[in-house]
Amino acid sequence: MATLSWSRSASRSRAWQLLAVAKRGCTSSQGAGDSPATDASPPDPEQQHRGLSDLDAGPQQVPSSNVESFASMLRRSPLIQMGPAKDKMVIGQIFHIVEDDLYIDFGGKFHCVCKRPEVDGEKYKRGSKVRLKLVDLELTSRFLGAKTDTTLLEADAVLLGLLESRDMRRKK
Amino acid sequence: MAAARLLQAAVPRFSRCRSLGKADPRTSLLSGQLYGTLIAPEGNEAVDPNVINDKLITEALKNPDFFNVKELISLKNLFDARVHLGHKIGCRHRFMVPYIFGCRLDQDIINLDQTMEHLQLALNFTAHVAYRKGIILFVSRNRQFSHLVENTARDCGEYAHTRYWHGGLLTNAHVHYGDGIRLPDLLIFLSTMNNAFEPHVAIRDAAKMHIPTVGVVDTNCNPSIITYPIPGNDDSPSAMQLYCRLFKMTITRAKNKRKQMEVLYRLQDKADSS
Repeated sequence: MATLSWSRSASRSRAWQLLAVAKRGCTSSQGAGDSPATDASPPDPEQQHRGLSDLDAGPQQVPSSNVESFASMLRRSPLIQMGPAKDKMVIGQIFHIVEDDLYIDFGGKFHCVCKRPEVDGEKYKRGSKVRLKLVDLELTSRFLGAKTDTTLLEADAVLLGLLESRDMRRKK
Repeated sequence: MAAARLLQAAVPRFSRCRSLGKADPRTSLLSGQLYGTLIAPEGNEAVDPNVINDKLITEALKNPDFFNVKELISLKNLFDARVHLGHKIGCRHRFMVPYIFGCRLDQDIINLDQTMEHLQLALNFTAHVAYRKGIILFVSRNRQFSHLVENTARDCGEYAHTRYWHGGLLTNAHVHYGDGIRLPDLLIFLSTMNNAFEPHVAIRDAAKMHIPTVGVVDTNCNPSIITYPIPGNDDSPSAMQLYCRLFKMTITRAKNKRKQMEVLYRLQDKADSS
């Protein structure tokens, strides 16, 4: 009896969600295209309680992380949520040092290479966290007569300084 | 049989990995299976290796995922290792368009659902080649990860070539190394481009020599003649570490499985004959 009522209300909530999607007119093609796919998972009690109340919410989040789709993971990833990379502040970690060049990884496809600053120069060690202002995620350019872009396999960022922890701030 | 690839006792010049000490008669059976001309004679004591080999191979082919490689890969792992990140739109290769999920602010995003399927096929194939005692050669011209690739090859008992590829390495092997050289049975490309952003010569050469290839193809690579392409990022350290770990695990798993099955069948044969 309990399963029968769950499946009825689940189908009702699914119908509501599909109607809501149709009303929105499928403006965000990827998001809407995925909502029927994610709703096809077996009915959950949590999903039902939210289904009837949150009609205007986007694709319903599936509770278990195993079933999360690639599209929803991508949509909620920091890289996508960040938007254009120009002038965004990020935290990076130094993973390699060659004398004055610091190779910093901030979570993008490529790392960036920055010069060791004069202020607190010796504090920049392998593994230290730094603050960066991004300029570009990948340095590419189409040269004259070329079929494809030439890529430098590097990102571009301005080094702002070390990540100051709360202890250091309290001491100051 | 002139075309038979006998095992050379000397250390192959492909890498400084393990040395092949003894000439194993069972390894020549691999080429026999490929050409399909070797027929095992009946009722002979010396035939046992042939018969066991046939049984082991048919046993492994009964299940589509005999080595259970599906459990090694998960979407979350691939995502966290940044496998979905591609190059900018200007670097895109025409033939990679089917594998691309979309383009976000000029950066291509690779479709990880497709990557999962391709990765599973490639790992399954690698496992079967390792199970049949094939020689696997890791190739990568990406200098940032050459040490990682060489270590991976050494750890799973296979070979790596991460240096400049001289022209006739595969196609002119008889001249370089003398007669009776055994070529690799599988080439795994951790990066299909060379340092001039052109396709690695070994892809074309392996196709010429009928050697299957597995390759990680990024959005600027040509996946055409690679037997088992894996669309994915080949520039981030996390992604490369993931691939190396996966290949190492599948190859060791396949080799262990082979040892297990041999012991099992030998015991069975002894029980039947006694």
